[in-house]
Amino acid sequence: MENLIKKLLVYVDGSEESVTAAQYAICLARISGAELTALYVVNTRAAEELVKANIFLKSEEEEYTRDIEADAERYLNHVKNMGIEKGVTVVTKKKRGTPFLEIKAEVSEQKPDILVLGELSKIRSRRDESYNEAERAMRNVSCSVLIVKDDERVWDLYDSLTP
Amino acid sequence: MALLDLIKEDVVKVPLESVTKTDVIRELVDVLVKHGKIQDADKACDAIMKRESLGSTGLEKGIAVPHAKTDQVKSLTLAMGVSPKGVDFQAVDGQPSKLFFLMLAAPDQSGPHLEALAEIARVTRSETFCRLLCSATSAREVVGLFQED
Repeated sequence: MENLIKKLLVYVDGSEESVTAAQYAICLARISGAELTALYVVNTRAAEELVKANIFLKSEEEEYTRDIEADAERYLNHVKNMGIEKGVTVVTKKKRGTPFLEIKAEVSEQKPDILVLGELSKIRSRRDESYNEAERAMRNVSCSVLIVKDDERVWDLYDSLTP
Repeated sequence: MALLDLIKEDVVKVPLESVTKTDVIRELVDVLVKHGKIQDADKACDAIMKRESLGSTGLEKGIAVPHAKTDQVKSLTLAMGVSPKGVDFQAVDGQPSKLFFLMLAAPDQSGPHLEALAEIARVTRSETFCRLLCSATSAREVVGLFQED
């Protein structure tokens, strides 16, 4: 039977959950031989909203965006190195904008078989549901979505992969 | 981190007693000190006042969001207060500020800081919700309003 999974896309946002998702995606890529891309979206929309609301000065918008760009590089390098440790090539990609829209656009462009996301935070209010970027991505992308849970099991699985 | 994770009864003060901008900031910082969220109140106040000196975070319609990055906190920290009478916070519309969201973030936590501030911006767009917060008479009521929203 032809390999069902040829392309994987994992969304990394710096949270522990997204790093766990990246570990699982590396395991899946290793076992299936699929291409793996890790995507980080610098949330420029949030900073723009804050300037518009007068909470941020323009200089703060620039400073915070710079910081988050650096975070993006750090986390993507981390995922790339995790892949190298296990003999998996991880292509990294950094985008700017509204996270769920950029994830959706990336899925349309790359057409991965599966989008891998970290465990979603609990929805405790309508606000959470409306503004959680991973949640919105899950609901809006056109491909299948895998939500990774149980970080200890994933860590054991990742750890057990020979380099 | 969702705003709801930060807004707990022990960091919400209703009503605030202070009547000046500097004192409100100090009163909210003291709430954080009292509950072991920060050690050095002076350093935290200085960081916030330094940010305020660049431009007031007093927004329109009675809302103020004083914030700063400081090494006084290890994770994102919030104190909230309601001043029914209002305080002159040099707001953009010249009106007294009644709802205060004081937020401190570690210097390496720009991402969570930005997201939490953006959530405050979204929440405070609702005039009805802000009115309900302003009329709250206890910390429990404030937290309850956020949970229901």
